[in-house]
Amino acid sequence: MVDLKVEIAPGVILKNPVLTASGTFGYGREYAPYFDIAKLGAIVTKGLSLQPKTGNPGVRITETACGMLNSIGLENIGVEKFLADELPILRKLDATVIVNIFGNNQSDYAALAAKLDGVTGIAALEINISCPNVKAGGIQFGTDPQAAAKLIAAVRKKTSLPLITKLSPNVSDIVAIAKAVEEAGSDSLSLINTLLGMAIDLDRKRPILGNVTGGLSGPAIKPVALRMVYQVAQAVSIPIIGIGGITSARDALEFLLAGASAIEIGTANFINPQTAIEIVEGIENYLKGQKCAKITDFIGKLEKV
Amino acid sequence: MYLFNSEVVSNQKLSQNIYRLRLKAAKDFCRAAAPGKFVMLGTVDGLLDPLLRRPFGICRWGSDWFEVVIKVVGKGSCQLSNLAKGVLVAVHGPLGNGYPNAELESEQKSLFLVAGGMGIASIASQLFFALDRKQSLVGTFLLYGAANISELILLDELTAASSSGLQIQTITDDGSSSRQGFVTQLLIHELQTRPQSRVFACGPEPMLKSVQKILQETGCDGYLSLENRMACGFGVCLGCVQTVLSETSETGMETAKVCTRGPVFPAQQVVF
Repeated sequence: MVDLKVEIAPGVILKNPVLTASGTFGYGREYAPYFDIAKLGAIVTKGLSLQPKTGNPGVRITETACGMLNSIGLENIGVEKFLADELPILRKLDATVIVNIFGNNQSDYAALAAKLDGVTGIAALEINISCPNVKAGGIQFGTDPQAAAKLIAAVRKKTSLPLITKLSPNVSDIVAIAKAVEEAGSDSLSLINTLLGMAIDLDRKRPILGNVTGGLSGPAIKPVALRMVYQVAQAVSIPIIGIGGITSARDALEFLLAGASAIEIGTANFINPQTAIEIVEGIENYLKGQKCAKITDFIGKLEKV
Repeated sequence: MYLFNSEVVSNQKLSQNIYRLRLKAAKDFCRAAAPGKFVMLGTVDGLLDPLLRRPFGICRWGSDWFEVVIKVVGKGSCQLSNLAKGVLVAVHGPLGNGYPNAELESEQKSLFLVAGGMGIASIASQLFFALDRKQSLVGTFLLYGAANISELILLDELTAASSSGLQIQTITDDGSSSRQGFVTQLLIHELQTRPQSRVFACGPEPMLKSVQKILQETGCDGYLSLENRMACGFGVCLGCVQTVLSETSETGMETAKVCTRGPVFPAQQVVF
């Protein structure tokens, strides 16, 4: 038996380092027919706002080379409905739940944090300051270190839940943002959200996505994500959750070597709904093969060139 | 629904760029199949390019196999259409709601199945379902339109079904079959003499829009099977949403996932 337990924020110890990325795992129960979601480190919910949101019109997804672009636009059922209808199901399924939240302004974020504070069955909050698909909210806080820090400090005041700040790669210096939110009280970081991209229909001479631009995810972004996790890991002392193009246990283990304490599976959940659980098994088998008894002995052990 | 790797039993070229793939399937899968349901298909080579699986209607199935019809439109469909006998394919399904029971209400006179282009794959699933169970198709009409005569597929098998009472009319955009025009023209014409009919339609969006309008004008009951881009097929990517009328929403409208609430919707619900 390999000890796969990891600590992703002070006091938040997960049974293994495999989480599911927000927006790719629904509210969790959608995957229950495919495997026991309680066996994952945690599931991260679809991003929730104070009010329900219908998302963007028009074509929302398109495949690109080894990746996909999406411009869903944070469609979600709203926090009230989540608490009333979805969280009880997740508790029954015995899943470890991290709730992803976003708002249009600082007071939305603070109100969401306050509402979720003390709710039984929530392990941590993931603060989305990085969605590229909506005009207001999210990304406006994620591209400026001071704005990001101010937001996280405000959220911090409203909840005793551990805070994971989800960072955008669409910035000139992700390390500066990471340090700023660490300073402001974030307990952990998750990175990266999608890379802003675009696809064009040549013959119709128009953008493919209804929203013109979208977020790029999938294997195409893995090298960017690895680089950012590696750089941020050198600069902060809080745990990091690596995200970006992970489709296999080997991909996941590369992120752990680069300094991530855990990882989130995103786009790969769409292709094979059992990807996340297969990656848990794959990580265990790999470490067994390496005669590594504790995953924490593997994390961050990237050797010099 | 089931997740499995399935062997290609046969791959038959139906026209210049349309193929019929027959795949092995477990009995449980075949029992869960129903007209109008679909599968997500992908390759198992592990190359991740194409990345996402592609949705295809289950066109016909037996006790241990099912068939899909693939038109080559891009990289994903091209790769799947090239698979040879014995190769493995990743399958996820059956997915979606499928068509409601095709049996007519007592006051209804006829059932019209309206197919445009590749919509035939979904529409034919109802016909094959009935034929394979030796059900009578008296009172059932297939109205089938395509761009040209070479894209009118599956007709041999469906024409052989005429002994079951099925009546077939075809039409092509370029007139390369007997009639030139759109399949909706056939529908308008037929509904004039059979006003209390039920209509099931699958095809390109402009056609479905037009069918919806015809149904509104004639007061006929109908269902539309929609197609949309989807990454997952089981309700999590939110890529395939369609605006539909809603009694509970303040705006009177809401978004519905084509993959899980559909692909078949009551025609009057869809907001194009």
